Amino acid sequence: MAFQTIVGPPSGTGSGIFPILVFVQGNEQRVINLDHSPFSVGRKVDKDLVIADPRVSRDHALIVSENGVFSVVDQGSKHGTFVNGERVERKTLERNDRLEFGVREVAYVIFNPQHGTTNSAREFLSQISGMHISDETTDLEKLVLFLEAARKLNTIGVLDEILMTLLDVTLKLTRAERAYVYMKNARGELRLAAGRNSKGEPLLDDKTISHSILDDALKSNSEFVLTDTSRSADLTGRKSIVAYDLRTVICVPLRKPQVQATRGGEAGSPAPSAEVMGALYVDSRFASRDISGVSNDILHAIATEAASLIENARLVQAEEAGRRYQQELSIAASIQQRLMAVTIPEVPFAKLAGRNLSCKEIGGDFFDAVNTDQGLTIVLADVSGKGVSAALLASTLQGMIYSQLTAGMPLTEIVTAVNRFFTDKNIGEKYATVIIARIRDNGDLEYVNCGHVQPLVVSNGEVRRPAHGNLPVGLLPDATYESDHCQLKQGDRLILVTDGVTEAENSRGDFFEDSRLELAAKTGTMEQIFTAISTFCGGTPLNDDCTVVELVYTGN
Amino acid sequence: MTLKIEIRQADGVTVLSCHGRIVFGEEATELRENLKRALASSRQVVVNLGGVSYIDSGGLGTLVGVYSSARASGAEIKLTGLGQRLRDVLQITKLVTVFEVYDTEQEAIATFHRGAA
Repeated sequence: MAFQTIVGPPSGTGSGIFPILVFVQGNEQRVINLDHSPFSVGRKVDKDLVIADPRVSRDHALIVSENGVFSVVDQGSKHGTFVNGERVERKTLERNDRLEFGVREVAYVIFNPQHGTTNSAREFLSQISGMHISDETTDLEKLVLFLEAARKLNTIGVLDEILMTLLDVTLKLTRAERAYVYMKNARGELRLAAGRNSKGEPLLDDKTISHSILDDALKSNSEFVLTDTSRSADLTGRKSIVAYDLRTVICVPLRKPQVQATRGGEAGSPAPSAEVMGALYVDSRFASRDISGVSNDILHAIATEAASLIENARLVQAEEAGRRYQQELSIAASIQQRLMAVTIPEVPFAKLAGRNLSCKEIGGDFFDAVNTDQGLTIVLADVSGKGVSAALLASTLQGMIYSQLTAGMPLTEIVTAVNRFFTDKNIGEKYATVIIARIRDNGDLEYVNCGHVQPLVVSNGEVRRPAHGNLPVGLLPDATYESDHCQLKQGDRLILVTDGVTEAENSRGDFFEDSRLELAAKTGTMEQIFTAISTFCGGTPLNDDCTVVELVYTGN
Repeated sequence: MTLKIEIRQADGVTVLSCHGRIVFGEEATELRENLKRALASSRQVVVNLGGVSYIDSGGLGTLVGVYSSARASGAEIKLTGLGQRLRDVLQITKLVTVFEVYDTEQEAIATFHRGAA
């Protein structure tokens, strides 16, 4: 099919250019742009609107457009086509008409319902473009006024409004019969973006439009192409001009502005070589509507301004998309934070504290604590990389480890399972360094270190670094993991950090290093370690997440 | 971009000399792309990390990733020129048991020929 059916959000409104159909089935609502004619309805899957219900005939009905008027035409359906409850063979459609196809009540279509808010920008623009400032105001001056106003409108959805108003103004200025805007899609093909006739009615794509002139205009380097068919001798290949007696065609390539259009003068003129993003097409069929005499000034103004107008509107839309994306990210960040929130278990033999400083909104560090019959277990992990992808992996990892810890699995089996999971899933170069440490009430500490920064054990003011280690998880499928034990005495402290701590940088590019960490840990608590890091870094922002976990073994 | 990579041939072995930082992002991508290109035409590659001041977790992941896939396809990558910091990192992560590491570039190149002999 040559046309795309755009499905909008459930309660959304259409683009505003084409009439819309709101299709309601059960609790679901769909908005469909009526952007081509005939628009087919039926049970067959190739229909523009497929209603999967046995009471709907395979080829049930068509919605057709003739001169901007829409009608529904029954195609000899078994159970009938209804408009506002009345069975019809063919009926002209009015706004808010309710259409039913064979099946009643459970599925119906509302034709082009009035929507309140989206027209505001357009109405505003129309008011300005149509306003009477004084009788001496020329059409060109009005156009400039309109463009000024449109530029200031930073409303979303304004692109469609601008296209329509641009067409209306162009029609008024050129006194032409029909006007269309074509825009290139991602594949570089021209697609109709909006069409209007001089009565202000929407137009669909039409084979009476001379596509050969459109193509010529896109290839040419000129600002606009004006074809007066009564004077042009060579009409070979221009089928539609001959067939439909087109009198005059004006085609204006819309070029991407290379510099931000500056106000006044002609500085905004796009260079002829600039990328073409679409075309404005205006034509007339009747001799009485001869538009070949349209002043070059007007065409120049349209050519210059239309493109920068559309480009500006596009920028506004891109900005809005970016803002929504940011919003999504911050929602993700808050979910991440809630997932990562640790309720520190109360145990009689130990005190635990942990803190994370994130370098970005969301990161790959996480820390967790689980109390089971076998003791209090602390998990600290750092997923390689940053941002959303790292956070996603961190959440998965945390869930896996948490569930296996509560199930009472041995530490080495947990990391082996996690490693198998991550290498099986083939997630590329992403991996995690993990340390899981379990303290029992008798002071026995078992830990399994998978490529993580070595833990610090602070005992009587001395710092030890238990060095036993394994490969990180997620790198090699056949990695094996071993744990090690050490004995804590009353008052001993176990400190776990991520490499964001040892690799915190100051403005000179020096790292915080193990030596400074050990010095800070020797006498200081977790909070004092953070103070030491921020003093060292000065104002230099963190490159990586910093997490510090401190466990004090208080004994029985 | 804080990573520069020079590529040359030495005794039938492709040598990539890296200078700068290998960190998550465009630097890691640069290393991956260069290594992949080198491996497309050569089964014997030496990566000289003598000019590398810093590798973060992302950079290390890239190195291991390319290393494993090279080995799976029958090619070999050997590392040389590791500074103390990188040696420490490989030690902590136990990746020292995965990579083939040599003190000098000549040594790394020579082992390829010994293997072939």
